[in-house]
Amino acid sequence: MNHRILHVNLACCLILLGWATTLHANSQDKLQFSGFARVVMGYLDDENAEYVGYDNSLSFDQQSLLGLQADYTFNETLSVTGQLVGHTGAQRSSGLEWLYLTYKPSNALQIKMGKQRIPFFNYSDSLDVGFAYPWLTLPQQFYDTAFFSTFEGVLANYEFTANDWIINYEGYWGRYDDKFYLSSGEIDAQVSGLFGVNANVGYKDWTFRASYNQGNTDIELAEVTQLSGLLRSIGFTDSADWLNPSGRIQFYQLSANYENLNYFVRSEIAKMVGETGIVPDIDSFYISAGYNFYPYTVYISYSKRDISYDHLDNEIPFGVSTELDFLASAYNSVLASFPDDNTNGTKIGIRWDWQPNVALKGEMTLVKAGDSISNDFALKDLGNFDGSAILYQLGLEWVF
Amino acid sequence: MRLVYVLFILFCPSIFTLSNGAEAIIVVANTQDKSIQLNRQQVRNLFMGGALPYDLSAVALPPENQTRVLFNTKVVGLTESRIQSYWAQMRFTGRKKAPKEIESEQLVLEYLKNNQGTIGYLPAGITLPKELTVVYQIH
Repeated sequence: MNHRILHVNLACCLILLGWATTLHANSQDKLQFSGFARVVMGYLDDENAEYVGYDNSLSFDQQSLLGLQADYTFNETLSVTGQLVGHTGAQRSSGLEWLYLTYKPSNALQIKMGKQRIPFFNYSDSLDVGFAYPWLTLPQQFYDTAFFSTFEGVLANYEFTANDWIINYEGYWGRYDDKFYLSSGEIDAQVSGLFGVNANVGYKDWTFRASYNQGNTDIELAEVTQLSGLLRSIGFTDSADWLNPSGRIQFYQLSANYENLNYFVRSEIAKMVGETGIVPDIDSFYISAGYNFYPYTVYISYSKRDISYDHLDNEIPFGVSTELDFLASAYNSVLASFPDDNTNGTKIGIRWDWQPNVALKGEMTLVKAGDSISNDFALKDLGNFDGSAILYQLGLEWVF
Repeated sequence: MRLVYVLFILFCPSIFTLSNGAEAIIVVANTQDKSIQLNRQQVRNLFMGGALPYDLSAVALPPENQTRVLFNTKVVGLTESRIQSYWAQMRFTGRKKAPKEIESEQLVLEYLKNNQGTIGYLPAGITLPKELTVVYQIH
């Protein structure tokens, strides 16, 4: 199904491109087309696991994608931008990723209205543009924590300089009404009251970022809601509340990066706090270091994630009646499907900037998991997984 | 380390051919206020799309150009590949657009002369028309 969507999108894109070249000549710089593409090949050395969609066979259709962007400038202050992305991977939906109006009254202030990517973390809004970052696959233990990536709303951005400091404040507000894409499947979800603020500060070769984001989620999990309702009707309100999938999610992020001609260090740390029982708390970070010897960059990276649930003691008494025993065991089995999960990833890789707009990358990632694995994230236990696997990848990144 | 230098020489001949000649770079603006002087950080911000108190629009030379290589090395402090990936990120997240690229130093000079409020970098020693002011220089 996803392949079919991609093909349709590709066809649309090609038609657009053809149309663009003829139109471009007429409207000069008013309408501009650009795009990005990546072809990524991967192989996991373990037949009992899946990681970022890759299994024990060579595959090209997990992260390969094509994105096309059109910018139309009405005048100096007003423009409209649309971006279509066709994904091959099953964990991402293809289609319109961005469609927004930009109002730029001055060099310092920019306001965007429409459908946009959520700037949770440093690369959250450029996940698909592999050319923009050194790694082939972003540190998954960090970037796999946000279940949704776009919102509909307004985003404002204000940038100014103070002595040698360059400071950028950003805030957004809006909503998300689509699906949460988990490795275990899709869930209908709505996020309202979604907002965030972030500050980006640059000083000489350093950049720092801090962000706070929050939203009220409403997730549709029919079985869980049913069980929760049943528990409430009998009076087990704590357990019923624990199972209520709707509530507030908060994200906090801090980042420090250093970069000069020869080397770079990039790091981010984040905390997600889920208010309700079945939305976990997640602590994650990564640190990467790289060495540039133009046109090559070599890098190493380490990332780690801890997922923890506030598991509630079972308040349903055993041995009172068969109905209650049945309910208690149902509750326990639901609880068991939300296990705490600790994983880490260590990678080494090389990027070769072959052309100003084409880069080739090779990467090796060793992923390690603790005793239990939540199959909702990038790493999936297919049965008897020993908790350690290596992903080998080669990729081509292109911008045009 | 030696391997790195060998690779550097192999892949970056432009820097070495230039090292005997004029390496100094000047940053030139077409502005009414002839007293404007910028520091390295301000020039870097301006060419990386950052805000600046002055309303100047930057123009650049194409990636393979030797003056650009020198400017990247001495002023921006990033390799060409990092600059390209930075602009890819800025463009596809709708934040900033890369400076307009102009084919050669002579054409940059021409463009700056004809467009008030523009700024560009050039090799030192180039003859400047009276409309243009040197706002920054690095050896």
